Amino acid sequence: MSALLRSLRDGRGFDVALAALALAYLLVFSAFPLVYNVAMSFQEVDMFSLGDLIRPFVGLANYRALFAAPEFWSIMGNTALFVSLSIVFQLAIGFGLALFFQQDFIGATYLRGLFLAAWIIPALVAGAIWKWIFAGDFGVLNYMLMSTGIVNDKIFWLSTPAISLYSVIIANIWLGIPFNMILLSVGLAGIPKDMYEAAALDGAGPWGRFWHMTLPMMRSTIGAVTCLGIIFTLQQFDLFASLTQGGPANSSNVAQYWSWQLSFQNYDIATGSAVSVLMLGFVIVVALLYVRSTRQEHRA
Amino acid sequence: MKRYVLLVVAIGFLAIYLFPLYWMYLTAFKPSSETFTYPPSFWPADPQFNFVRVFIDKKMDVYLWNSLVVACGTTVIAALIGTGCAYALARVRSVWMDLVLFLILMMQVLPPSLMATPIFVLFNQIGLIATPRFAVVLAQTAKVLPLYIVLCRTSFMQIPKELEEAARVDGASRIVAFFRIIVPLARNGILVTSVLIFLQSFGEYVYSRTLISQEDLQTATVGLMNFMGPNTTDWNGIMTYAVIYVTPIVIVFMLLQRKIVSGLTAGALK
Repeated sequence: MSALLRSLRDGRGFDVALAALALAYLLVFSAFPLVYNVAMSFQEVDMFSLGDLIRPFVGLANYRALFAAPEFWSIMGNTALFVSLSIVFQLAIGFGLALFFQQDFIGATYLRGLFLAAWIIPALVAGAIWKWIFAGDFGVLNYMLMSTGIVNDKIFWLSTPAISLYSVIIANIWLGIPFNMILLSVGLAGIPKDMYEAAALDGAGPWGRFWHMTLPMMRSTIGAVTCLGIIFTLQQFDLFASLTQGGPANSSNVAQYWSWQLSFQNYDIATGSAVSVLMLGFVIVVALLYVRSTRQEHRA
Repeated sequence: MKRYVLLVVAIGFLAIYLFPLYWMYLTAFKPSSETFTYPPSFWPADPQFNFVRVFIDKKMDVYLWNSLVVACGTTVIAALIGTGCAYALARVRSVWMDLVLFLILMMQVLPPSLMATPIFVLFNQIGLIATPRFAVVLAQTAKVLPLYIVLCRTSFMQIPKELEEAARVDGASRIVAFFRIIVPLARNGILVTSVLIFLQSFGEYVYSRTLISQEDLQTATVGLMNFMGPNTTDWNGIMTYAVIYVTPIVIVFMLLQRKIVSGLTAGALK
């Protein structure tokens, strides 16, 4: 016993205890709910059995109900569209800005950091601001588009089913640009300067240098940023809550918002947890890819 | 000359990008008659100061206090539990520690809106729902703890091992060396990471909305959602609320900008 105490205070046990404390917390409050969630998705859960430990086992019935739901495929399609469009534009705009701020001028680092001001504010507040910008009658976006002649009529960004999802995507791209830009800047800073000088001496133009040097050198960074982008985009909830609440008629609904709606607005916790299990499984696969890509970077 | 052109272009990009924030501040200062004019004005003709009225009318003192409780609780627990773990992960290299780091990275990616369902049912069963703000703190800590550990770990890795070994030669136990030598040296990294965690938790929404049912215990994000309602027109009021809520966050960010950015870039990709 005293040997154990001595090890805890003054030996290997010290490191083990420190690491175990945090790991135990995460196992209790993250991993256990995760497992519990999988179990619930095979049970019948309603308001009456909410407090019970043993609930009736229903097999795959929750999943069958889920796949049969008329809105299931359109919401999954929305989720795919939301994730892919958000990432493509965040990455492209973030990359452009990162390249721009890579140039040598006064205050480049400082101004680049200021972009993160949008990232640090609560996403719900960002959603409130965008809701006001998108407002149909007095929104500033409609005014700008109409006064420059891009559109002729007011667009009802949030209440038109064909447009509402794209409005949330626009707001989400805005939110995600700074983080992408900063991470890509780190990757760009890692490319040796003399490589560019050598390429310039050999007569490579700016486009040639971009296609044949920058992009290949940035491949692992872009891969990591894309994985992180998928993970963060699937965490986006606040924008949906503040902008459209998934509406009108689920036209802008995505899986992570739908799961919450099923559980806490329809009180259909079993189906909510089934959606949640599907999406968590997907997120974990992406995270595995991300960890693998950073591992390879370390070895190289 | 080219460098000044670049500077001007850079400021232009930043201005376009931060326009939504400008629009928030501008709307907060406009009287409601000026808000609903077409074409809209881009500078308030008759600036209003409705901050005190909105603050009192919307009971922002209660909401902001609750947000502060959640953010402080989360930061304190994350720092207490996470700092030691970050140190152990930075110091020891073994298969087991790699596995711990891997598990922690995995738990960083779980979206709160998907975890809300099991956490609600679980907390309901063990009675944690009776103390809803504490329940939010526990859930939010599980969300931010991995990020805290990953970011702190990089600042521990920058401390030379020799400093700790010298203290050990002088007879200090590992606990003493940790608290007297290591933690003071990593102070900056720990502080910046804590501020980051604090700011994130100050804007927490999903768990507050899910786990807190009493009006007087709800956080500022939920208060803003209640204010917005389905058919809102009081955009001056909402933007005033947003300005009161966001301005302290923006000021703290501006003061620590350089350190936050460098901390993020060092930790995020590794």
